[in-house]
Amino acid sequence: MSAHRAPTGGRIDRSKTIAFTVDGKAYAGHPGDTLASALLANGVTLMGRSFKYHRPRGLLGAGDEEPNALFTVLGPGAVREPNIQATRIEIFDGLQVESQNRFPSLSFDVGAINRLAGKLFSAGFYYKTFFGPEWIKGTRVWHVFEWFIRRAAGLGSASAARDPARYERMNAFCDVLVVGAGKAGLAAARDAAEAGKRVILCDSEPPSPAATAEFAAHANVECLPRTTVWGHYDDMTFAAVERVADHLADPPAHLPRHRHWVIRTKEIVVATGAVERPLVFPGNDAPGVMLASAALRYAAEFAVRPGARIVVFANNDTAYAAAAGLAALGSTIAAIVDVRPNPPEAARALAARAGAELIVASAVVSTAGGKALSGVAIAEIGPDGAPGANRRTLSCDCLAMSGGWTPQIQLAAQQGAKPRWDERLHAFHAPDLPSGWSMAGSAAGDFDLDEGLSAYPAPVFEIKAKGKAFVDFQHDVTADDVRLAHCEGYVNVEHMKRYTTLGMATDQGRTANLAGLAIMAEARGLTPPEVGTTRSRPPLVPVSLGAITAERKDDLKPWRLTPMHDWHLENGATMYNAGLWSRPMIYGAPGETIEQAYVREAAAVRSGVGIVDVSTLGKIAVQGPDAPEFLDRVYTNLFSTLAVGKARYGLMLREDGIAYDDGTTWRLGDNDFLMTTTTANAGKVMQQLEYYLDCVWPDLRVILTSVTDEWAGAAVGGPKARDVLAACVSGAKVDDAHLPFMGIVKGEIAGAPVLICRLSFSGELAYEVYSGAGHAAHVWEALMAAGKPFAITPYGLEALGTLRIEKGHVTGAEIDGRTTARDLGLDWMLSKKKSFVGSAMMDREGLFHPDRLRLVGLVSLDDRAINGGSHVVDSLDGEKATQSLGHVTAACFSPALGRYIALALVKNGRERLGQRAFITDPLRGRAGPVEIVHPVFVDPEGKRMHG
Amino acid sequence: MVEIASPLGTAFKPGRHGKPDGAPGVIVCERKPATIVQVAAFSGRETAVREALVKAAGLKLNGKPGAGVVNGSRAGFGVAPGRWLIADDKEGLAGSFAKAIAHEDGAVTRLTHGRSVFRIEGPRAEWVLAKLFAVDFSPEAFPVGDAVSTTHHDVFAAIQRVGENAFDLYVFRSFARSFFETLVRAGEEVGCEVKA
Repeated sequence: MSAHRAPTGGRIDRSKTIAFTVDGKAYAGHPGDTLASALLANGVTLMGRSFKYHRPRGLLGAGDEEPNALFTVLGPGAVREPNIQATRIEIFDGLQVESQNRFPSLSFDVGAINRLAGKLFSAGFYYKTFFGPEWIKGTRVWHVFEWFIRRAAGLGSASAARDPARYERMNAFCDVLVVGAGKAGLAAARDAAEAGKRVILCDSEPPSPAATAEFAAHANVECLPRTTVWGHYDDMTFAAVERVADHLADPPAHLPRHRHWVIRTKEIVVATGAVERPLVFPGNDAPGVMLASAALRYAAEFAVRPGARIVVFANNDTAYAAAAGLAALGSTIAAIVDVRPNPPEAARALAARAGAELIVASAVVSTAGGKALSGVAIAEIGPDGAPGANRRTLSCDCLAMSGGWTPQIQLAAQQGAKPRWDERLHAFHAPDLPSGWSMAGSAAGDFDLDEGLSAYPAPVFEIKAKGKAFVDFQHDVTADDVRLAHCEGYVNVEHMKRYTTLGMATDQGRTANLAGLAIMAEARGLTPPEVGTTRSRPPLVPVSLGAITAERKDDLKPWRLTPMHDWHLENGATMYNAGLWSRPMIYGAPGETIEQAYVREAAAVRSGVGIVDVSTLGKIAVQGPDAPEFLDRVYTNLFSTLAVGKARYGLMLREDGIAYDDGTTWRLGDNDFLMTTTTANAGKVMQQLEYYLDCVWPDLRVILTSVTDEWAGAAVGGPKARDVLAACVSGAKVDDAHLPFMGIVKGEIAGAPVLICRLSFSGELAYEVYSGAGHAAHVWEALMAAGKPFAITPYGLEALGTLRIEKGHVTGAEIDGRTTARDLGLDWMLSKKKSFVGSAMMDREGLFHPDRLRLVGLVSLDDRAINGGSHVVDSLDGEKATQSLGHVTAACFSPALGRYIALALVKNGRERLGQRAFITDPLRGRAGPVEIVHPVFVDPEGKRMHG
Repeated sequence: MVEIASPLGTAFKPGRHGKPDGAPGVIVCERKPATIVQVAAFSGRETAVREALVKAAGLKLNGKPGAGVVNGSRAGFGVAPGRWLIADDKEGLAGSFAKAIAHEDGAVTRLTHGRSVFRIEGPRAEWVLAKLFAVDFSPEAFPVGDAVSTTHHDVFAAIQRVGENAFDLYVFRSFARSFFETLVRAGEEVGCEVKA
């Protein structure tokens, strides 16, 4: 047992020893220790370097309020997680941490030279630096400064290594959420549990034996230790983070590291306690100066003496209780220094019990010692709070201070209501709370003290003596910085916060905010409630991004597969992500480039037969007696006249007359249609159609159902396509008489029912074979087997794109939300016999303007590839080189033409056919001559697909 | 008749996943109903369609959102106003509905291929599902027979409680493999047994 650790007491397990390292140096502790308590027990007082001045810092607190002792936790692998409070790290065998913000070591830090440039790093440092003095302007000096500033800024550094930990999300519902498992929280949970309510009890600390024992038998209470509720959202929704496995030496792979809880509750009890405030005086940040409550906690819970000889400095009674407790646990209390001239009798009795000299109407005005405290200087203070000139020195290695208490009300204040000032507590209470909310324990200002003691402090926040007196320890904000902000006009607390960065550190100013605003209030000649508080916002504590992302990434991102997916992989497909779908891009042969592969595949379709998986097309069942009327309204062309067993190509417009989506719709029965949409727009079209039915035409008797996943599709195209089908289809004839263009038949392939529609995206004789998705792989393989004698070639998206470009068929690249049916050469589809969605707006004058971008084809004249997205210009020289006539929407090498071709949208394009232009793509350094041609490159008469 | 292939392919890995010791917290399997069919009523014709469902399949479904029944091999529940999803371990139900429901009342849509069904059961089923869905799975809020239509990561899912600790999850078939892997991953914490 070390000299700092008592032989008995505390919640630690002395029967076991834990080995851990800090900066590579080995230490030992016990189960139950935090890194903070274990280091204290090892006699370590220096635990960090301050942000700006690199001042040596030790522990101030013992919980979430700790601003100084921040460490980087190492591992596993190269993972580093910076800025973790030593008070939040439960030690385990093999724990490795590094100190931060120091070079070359925590003990000897060259950055401490910044202390000599104190004024330079005052409030508004960044603002002033960014503006810079006049002589810097126009020089490169700033770049030099920037390098140094960037290097010096920030605390700790995260690693770029991949975090292998898993994170989870959890949704929870309860009647009562109790936040905090202290005395008040336990009582609230008990009451709710006994009333039969569903209770969730969250606490930031490890499991408390009291809570565990009490609620073990209550099935209606869920205890969540190591869980911090950090955000309040609408409708009584709360966010919490549970640190599930951070305390485990070797966490099993099935456990998440952190779990993000979304808790929806009917009532909430906030029992988050109160944080003791530091007093603001010169040297209040020295290692060895800590909150009195923290000192007592280290002694009581961890059996660690925070000092052998302790001076207590206070403006209220609670520190006396802490002094008595520390004395009872073995520390010597040298003195209690109280700013008040007349502490109450009960407090004096505690001082006597602690064996402490009581020094009233006095204050600590400076501290001595570097990396460990050696003593403090005190002075009497006058009625105005100013210290007198006479100094007395007290020798001590720990100063336990108490500047009053701040109820932890942030959760209750996040929705924006104004906290209420308590003139006696000199702190804010929660705002007036809506129903369902209650505060309990010290969070409500109820401090449960012994008779005669009070938590109400003397109204003293700051002792104005010479030297740096810190308000915000983590961000190195001093009392003078707050006054400087006032002098420079940043008097509103929100402005002061941003100008000085007070309260913006990872501890969210728990120990700093009230003193900061009190100093600002004094500077402005106002009271603290007149100055007000800054707005509390989530998260209250640092939350890992992993927890919030929670397994919604990488392999757990949702993705969609067609039934033929495994076949594609087994047959050499290179897959391509198209939205959520995974689709074959090419089926490359060994040694083939992408271009060689798609050219081979597309050529095979033109010369023989190819097969492509079209299962991703959106499919919507449109059923009901009013389905024909509905389709007439949403499509530009007529569908009510379509015969059963026939399909028709349809175009939809938006209400403003712009093209929306296209596809074929098949009439399977009088009241039964199967609509197909483009893959990309399937969801959008479904939503839009549902909107029409729900809101615009609720009288129509139509049911829409997404059947995209019910039907899988294989498109078989090419001069030999019919031969392939004839070889494997039973129960239906597929010759031209029985299955003409746009005809539909029902049959079977290898015993599985199929629907076959003769339609063509490639421009070849082609058929779409639909089967139930669960049969689709079976049907596909049967088609492959039937096609073998004809050298059937599977093709991917690249060849599909090539074939459609050659044929001039449009897709989402052309139906881009700006083009009209006329722009795309689809005016023949605009029915004059009926009105339809978009018909009222499609004839607006502007939509006929000759300068509108219209669909054309381009042929490369320099035999080089055309890049998609290139601009079309009249000339590569002079002004015209930058005047875009339009852009390339899709490009490929055409095996049918043996040329590089493209589709493009070009100003007044149809009047430019036969003209020469240029494509230019400055980003990729490609420019060259092209000829503007009709967009249908192959078989403009349609003989092939009608053959 | 050609059997309907499972969408899981290589993602189906029977056996224990995650926490290796103790009884599994959840058991997950793919259910393969012979029929999944949607029945939808036109506005104002819900009662007539519900009556037809009783007549054709013995399924008494009330009009409340998410209300459902489990009746031996058959289960049905509301997925939207005037719209029900019904699964049966036997074939032929779609044909019976098509005959029983008049064209003026509603429509019958076959979805046997288009939806995949996974069953999760075990003492930690509620816990595991709560990781994926913002739904209160407690028995008080979600009694046996009831169902919800919800999403996980944009994956639409209809969930029916079919027993004290058992739920059937209906997802679109194209998402089935992705969703199944997510479900098993969520179950690993409590020990997940994947069964055929």
